[in-house]
Amino acid sequence: MNKIEIFSQMERSIIDGNKQEAEKLAKYAIENNMELTKVIEKGFVPGIQKVGQLWEKGEYFLPELITSAECMKAAMAILQPELERCQISTKSYGKIVIGTVEGDIHDIGKNLVASMLSANGFEVVDLGADVKLDKFIEKAKEINADFICLSALLTTTMLGQKRLIEMLKEKNLYGKFRVMVGGAPVNRKWAEDIGADGYAENAMAAVQVMKNLLNN
Amino acid sequence: MKKDSIEIIKNFKIQLDDKLILRCIGLKSKESEVNSSIKKAITEEKERLPSFIHPTALYTIIPYEETSQHSIFKDAEKLALCICTIGPELEREVSKLMAKNELLRGLILDAMGSEAVESIAQQMDDILAKKARFMNLWPSKRYSPGYKSWGLEGQKFIFQKLPAEKIGVRLTESIMMVPRKSISFRINFYSEKTHISRNVNL
Repeated sequence: MNKIEIFSQMERSIIDGNKQEAEKLAKYAIENNMELTKVIEKGFVPGIQKVGQLWEKGEYFLPELITSAECMKAAMAILQPELERCQISTKSYGKIVIGTVEGDIHDIGKNLVASMLSANGFEVVDLGADVKLDKFIEKAKEINADFICLSALLTTTMLGQKRLIEMLKEKNLYGKFRVMVGGAPVNRKWAEDIGADGYAENAMAAVQVMKNLLNN
Repeated sequence: MKKDSIEIIKNFKIQLDDKLILRCIGLKSKESEVNSSIKKAITEEKERLPSFIHPTALYTIIPYEETSQHSIFKDAEKLALCICTIGPELEREVSKLMAKNELLRGLILDAMGSEAVESIAQQMDDILAKKARFMNLWPSKRYSPGYKSWGLEGQKFIFQKLPAEKIGVRLTESIMMVPRKSISFRINFYSEKTHISRNVNL
């Protein structure tokens, strides 16, 4: 098999949500000393990009999206240790601190957003659910994050998103990290009203909005 | 039932509709168009589901005088209060699946948990509505705190009246129920049939 065929199979494995195949191909790439940055950029990434396009066209829905994200993460889990061993850095779209705000224990939606972002080339630090607002800021400072992503499922807890932005202003950190908000009761108007940089109503939209924000 | 007694019910039949599960996981395709690996995951998680759920409900029926006499209870003769749960195990399993990069299965199992607790709530709704009629009263629809004019603080009222710890449910400081797959609600019982009350098949 030539490289183009292998890259094509890698892309296909992500589009089809075939985790075993994606893992097999990632191992094949290592065993055959393929250039791993190319494996990622020309093999697996086009797959997850195509999945995003299929989502936009309404041909893929959430289950297909997250199955593909699973495959991408599975392949990367095999490639990453080798990349680190060889001290090869890969392209990262940006560093993200994500979590569900304090007082809110829901985390499924946040987990899916974190996984989609990770599968699409962002470095994600997931703080979990019921996260103290201070902790978001501390972690963002520690890793020099590009984004803080705040999830909230209830009208009572979405106030934490507003409070975090106030805290950033109080600490003269407003603007240093872009703030994204999401969750069932959250909408664009809320995001604008509280001074968030972006809002996404689902996991795939989060990827697109954040990429757009980075390009602006 | 003795006045103000607390009852626990455990014998629920949980039958999940695949269409609801598909909708719950965000799949808008027709059932016939769902790809085989997603179908397989749904079938397998459905088989595993019973080992992770412990359907339980707790309820009481109190007279209007024992309510906070909030306007939402106005004209009610009695009030049924209920908490339903499937317990904490499913949530733990979902977290494990998510951590193992089994996102789809985690999402499916979580959706099944939501549908399972909703099924318990629906069965309790039927039971309590029938109890109302046996008392010669007329039941309203069921209302959960945080919906319509009943604020989320209504949870505190329900938890004051019901020993939720008996079925392993508690409220967090931010008034959320733990385990998350729990539902609480009230049904107003009226002495006369009104536009708010509903018909019940006995």
